[in-house]
Amino acid sequence: MRKKTFAAAAMLAAATMTLTACGSGDDSGKPVAVVSEETSHQAATVLDQPFEKPDLVLTDTHGKKYDLRQETAGRPTLIYFGYTHCPDVCPLTMNNLAVAKKALPKAEQDKLRVVFVTTDPGRDTPAELGKWLNGIDPQFIGLTGDFATIQAGARSLGIAIEPTKKDKNGKLVSVHGTQVVAFSPKTNQGYVVYGEDATVDDYTKDLPKIIKGQNP
Amino acid sequence: MRRPTTAVPLAVTALAGAVLLTGCGGSASGAESGGSGPELSVTSPYIPEPVSDSMAAGFLTIENKGDAADQLTSVTSDAAGSVTLHRTDGGAMEQVDRLTVPAHGRLVFRSGGNHLMFDRLTTKPVQGRTITVELHFATSGDLKVRMPVKPATYNPATGH
Repeated sequence: MRKKTFAAAAMLAAATMTLTACGSGDDSGKPVAVVSEETSHQAATVLDQPFEKPDLVLTDTHGKKYDLRQETAGRPTLIYFGYTHCPDVCPLTMNNLAVAKKALPKAEQDKLRVVFVTTDPGRDTPAELGKWLNGIDPQFIGLTGDFATIQAGARSLGIAIEPTKKDKNGKLVSVHGTQVVAFSPKTNQGYVVYGEDATVDDYTKDLPKIIKGQNP
Repeated sequence: MRRPTTAVPLAVTALAGAVLLTGCGGSASGAESGGSGPELSVTSPYIPEPVSDSMAAGFLTIENKGDAADQLTSVTSDAAGSVTLHRTDGGAMEQVDRLTVPAHGRLVFRSGGNHLMFDRLTTKPVQGRTITVELHFATSGDLKVRMPVKPATYNPATGH
């Protein structure tokens, strides 16, 4: 009985915590006005202190060198760290972005850069990554390369990832990021963060503003 | 954070309900004497159409109206070489051997949390089809569930 009560309390606490945990990336992000999320769901967290775009030079799905800062300069850019052997959150996140992107006028779709950086470069070769992303949106950019480089890039955005490892059953287990970071075409800084509960509707509503570098 | 906000109060209510109910009924001896044991049913099963042709995730809720807990010990399906139980913590998922369906409570599989993981799919699940799975429990008999394949972006909170 006591245990149950505690569980309920913990659940409540967890519910409260998860709500507040929403925005706060790793360190800087102030916890936003997410407390009132009960009534008005707000998926986007606009950062007081934006992130610099990670200085990542990796390999794209065509096997070519891709300099993230250079290639996406002046472009509205969304970055997500995930892996293709991920059944749940990674494809959901990328599909949510793909569907929302289709609601934009064609010219804006072409401006937008959606970059999927693999957290599992061992399995996600350029070809594997390309095949997977083609099934979602052929315009999406997939990057792979040295894990330590990718991890450092993720860390600079407050996203913690670990190398792929074997679990007790010998299965490979990878780790994905839990947020999408939006970079402004005006400043090239990452100024908006979305958690993994952001929906198609959230992105559809916000992308027209992100494209212009405005706050959603 | 990763649960739809509407679901949180529900879950809390369910848990609070469980506390109340065990509070009055459950005097140690439990299921055998007057109780009915676990009474399981499944609601809201779905599989988001996967990107990969070899793996997919599945979601459902197992409700237990009985006064004893049960455990989901395995899942099988003709549609996949293996179906395993996973929970997600942050960005890391972890395979687990069994999951508890609490008495007068529910075991929820939802995006970002617990999921069924289908490996080595025999056919790629496409929207509109259904995949049949069998849930195996420690106490209760097997439950056969038909899981509809929904769009990749399906959100059970909004129903689309």
